[in-house]
Amino acid sequence: MTLVLLVPLLLLAAACIVVIGPGGSEHTRAKLAAYPIGAAFLGAVATLYLVTTGGPVSVRFYDLSSVASFAIPIGFYVDRLSAVMMTLITGVSVIIYSYSTGYMYQDRHARRYLAMICLTDFVLICMVSSANLMMLFLFWQVLSYLLYVLAHNHAHAGTLAGAFKTFTLLRVADTAFLAGIALAYHLYGTLEFQELFQRAADMPVVLSLWPGMDMSGATAVTLLLFVGAMGKSAQFPIHLWLPGSLFAPTPVHALLHAGIINAGGFLINRLAPLFGLSSTTLHVAFLIGTLTAVLGASMMLAQNDIKKTLGFSTIGQMGYMIMECGLGAFALAVFHLIAHGLFKATVFLNCGNVIHKARQEPHFPYVDHHAEEPGLSGLTWFTGSVTTLFIPLLILLVTHGVLRIPLLESHGTVIFLFFIWITSSQAILTLTRLRQVASWKVSAAMLMTLLFIVFVYLFAVESFTEFLYPNPEEVASYFKAADLPAWLFDLIIVTATVLTGAGWSYLYMSAHGMTLRMPAWIDSMRIRLYLPFMNRLYADELYALTGQTIMRLVHQLDKRERGWSR
Amino acid sequence: MMDGTLIPWLLAGIPLLGVLASLPFRSDPERLKGSSVAWAVISLGSVGGFAGRIDVPLEGLLPLYLLPLAATISILGQPAHKHHRRSWMLTLLFLGLGLSALSSERPISLLSVSLLLVLVAVLLYRHHSALWPRSWWGIGAYGLGALCAALSVAADAPLSSVASLLACAVLLPLVPFHDGHLTALTRLPGSLPSFMVVLLPMAGLHQLASAMPIVPDIVAWTVSLFALVGASYGALKALAQSRIRLLLAYGSLSFFSILWWFAAASRTVTPRSALLVGTVGLATSGLMVAWQVVRTRYGDDVDPQAISGLASGMPQYAVLLSLLALAAMGLPPFGVFAGFMGLLLSSPFPSLTGLFVTLLAWLAASWYIMQMVQRLLFGVRRPELRYADLLRAELASLLIVVLVLLALGLAPTTLFAPEGALFGTAPMGESPTWTR
Repeated sequence: MTLVLLVPLLLLAAACIVVIGPGGSEHTRAKLAAYPIGAAFLGAVATLYLVTTGGPVSVRFYDLSSVASFAIPIGFYVDRLSAVMMTLITGVSVIIYSYSTGYMYQDRHARRYLAMICLTDFVLICMVSSANLMMLFLFWQVLSYLLYVLAHNHAHAGTLAGAFKTFTLLRVADTAFLAGIALAYHLYGTLEFQELFQRAADMPVVLSLWPGMDMSGATAVTLLLFVGAMGKSAQFPIHLWLPGSLFAPTPVHALLHAGIINAGGFLINRLAPLFGLSSTTLHVAFLIGTLTAVLGASMMLAQNDIKKTLGFSTIGQMGYMIMECGLGAFALAVFHLIAHGLFKATVFLNCGNVIHKARQEPHFPYVDHHAEEPGLSGLTWFTGSVTTLFIPLLILLVTHGVLRIPLLESHGTVIFLFFIWITSSQAILTLTRLRQVASWKVSAAMLMTLLFIVFVYLFAVESFTEFLYPNPEEVASYFKAADLPAWLFDLIIVTATVLTGAGWSYLYMSAHGMTLRMPAWIDSMRIRLYLPFMNRLYADELYALTGQTIMRLVHQLDKRERGWSR
Repeated sequence: MMDGTLIPWLLAGIPLLGVLASLPFRSDPERLKGSSVAWAVISLGSVGGFAGRIDVPLEGLLPLYLLPLAATISILGQPAHKHHRRSWMLTLLFLGLGLSALSSERPISLLSVSLLLVLVAVLLYRHHSALWPRSWWGIGAYGLGALCAALSVAADAPLSSVASLLACAVLLPLVPFHDGHLTALTRLPGSLPSFMVVLLPMAGLHQLASAMPIVPDIVAWTVSLFALVGASYGALKALAQSRIRLLLAYGSLSFFSILWWFAAASRTVTPRSALLVGTVGLATSGLMVAWQVVRTRYGDDVDPQAISGLASGMPQYAVLLSLLALAAMGLPPFGVFAGFMGLLLSSPFPSLTGLFVTLLAWLAASWYIMQMVQRLLFGVRRPELRYADLLRAELASLLIVVLVLLALGLAPTTLFAPEGALFGTAPMGESPTWTR
């Protein structure tokens, strides 16, 4: 119990060490504060061990049976999911903080910045270990504000506008979250996680929105909560705040992309039993996630700024994560967010140095002007096509035979496999464009690496799912709830197959100098699409226009009303 | 042992005695301010000492504590200048009347309210300016409120209940009787606006506790409708304002309308209602004191558009203003959030549209208050402005508000009311578990 409390308290202590102390000792204190953060990480690891071996730990500072409890019902409930998140957050925090002490050295606002980083870590830890929905929401909101504070710079107009946009958009999502909490409480009479899940499962409620339009209570609650998750995880169309906050120092982004943005995925996982009761919400999550993944990745490709490229990459990945949730693969989403968090934190920490270097050296980054080798060798084409065609077969065999995943009963798993297939194919298509791949050694290495990654990933995911959700029936029920309509399922599978096949056909025909009869509008569309995607689909302009229109209307109303009132 | 019936007189008498005791210091603003603050603090102590011995009203004892506290911070936040002398003494006078209105039984309570409203109307008349014709509406609203309060004493039911409700609508602003609130917050001098924004709504809530349960259904439905209109109207108007006091007045109107909606839905007033009204009033009061800090430095008619970059020049002020803004927009862990959540979870929703409007009003506060804070604190530092951080009294005043708002967000409501009073009505589900 003490250990669970120690983790957030150590982070709070680190913030105090940074802030409180005599002038002139700032740098020493900043370095000293890294130790409690390191200790918090060790504490999180120990907590993970503790809950893995001994089951969930629960600490409550309020009386469940009394209405005289605190307004803010402070309590901690640490299960495997919370412990994993605590370990991830504190682990990334140690690296980010240590990096930041050097990165922000001699900066005028370093003290405030470092304290804010510690405080954000504290809030994140409290959020992921909350014992009830109320406490989770409370820290969720504090996080929205901290993000605003971290993203803004006093004297830079662009940063201020971005920070304001971040805050207002996150508040929109927070409002939906709040509505979800209020509705959940009114329907089920509790906000304690376990009781809430139990009552929602035991007492199916139907809400009548208007005559003829009914909705289950679980769907209404989870849809509202999902909008809250969309905000923090930058899902389309509430993703605008993420590119707007890119002015912040790069370590902030490391923390943002490794920790804060995962809040949406965490929320859905924390409430998995509730989300599992509503197929509608899961389908909406799948749709929004897919849309965000496709748009995020497309916009990433068209960006010409390293931070924006990484930012949109994150949006795409978050879309992928939400899509996984929408398919009922909650544990996979957590696995994804951990992998993505670690990867993106590393990239962002390096990104600052790249920017600095590029500013100092005009020829950096170096551009290789050698033209790509036209055409593909027979070996290259053979390796690529065989890999692409045989990998799915192998995956199917392994998943069905070795891992014993009932593929025929689980749409979600099949869709994932096809996503893995299409992603691997895309990676191979990219690799085969390299001249060196003509070597059989490179081809073999590529093939082996790919197979290794795919199978390790599959086994890791399966093991992780067993770790987070030890009850296989529970996992199966989530997949079942997420089952898509048959036509949609077929459409996705056929589209994935056609896309992969078309990709290879295109490559083969190009390599052999065959003329592709491509309609003119497709060629022109490729060019036309580039501009909107480079400009992020003009979403920022749309947001600004919406804001201006609202304000114009408000001023007009104000003017008219003032005239009447006088 | 003192007779319980004397305690309201005692509570009301101490600030009035303070007015008399401060009279000899009238020529010395510094000493007068010190004396006024001391009497407000003594009044707070007397509430602490005697509140446990009076009958606990439906809304709990929180309003009784908040009034002297608001008076203290309002006076403390003002510069010691001869122009503010009258406002300090009037603050004590109004504090006495307010405590009488909150702690006395009917009809003394209603007569105190009536007298309070008449005095405010007279004061507004004295400060009336042709440049602000709207203040006639304000004076009229307070006149109507005073009349209704007196009528509710004299008349029989159902006229008395409707008159009482109208008086409440003037005190705790409800559209279309909100002009008094706007005028008081923008036209009254010195420390009075920051005190009035706590005093009048608290007095209104106290009267509402007895008026709301007996009004006919149709009236409650109408109130509910006006409340929703008021919540949206206040938020929209606040968005359009560039003048800080007016922005705060409309913003608080929006939040008070939210309370009206909850009160009309549950047909009762609970200690949670007092928490929301008290903390909204206190947060607005704090922001007004914070704006007074700017006015003290850059002139009474300073244009907020002309001020920027205070964050780097006045760091203490920036931190406290940011925290106050967080509290005022209803973010945790401050009292406004606790009050709003308490009502949201414990009151029934008569309609989803109402809930939607209420949440939108709550959301809009993030926009207009954040915009105001950004405009003042951030942006380029202006070379022509002299930046001087908070003086000790100003710092103390703002710090007290922030700490109290924080404490009210964390403390259990049972501190100010018995556990049984917390629920006006039970939620639709089973019995509540952890809520306040």
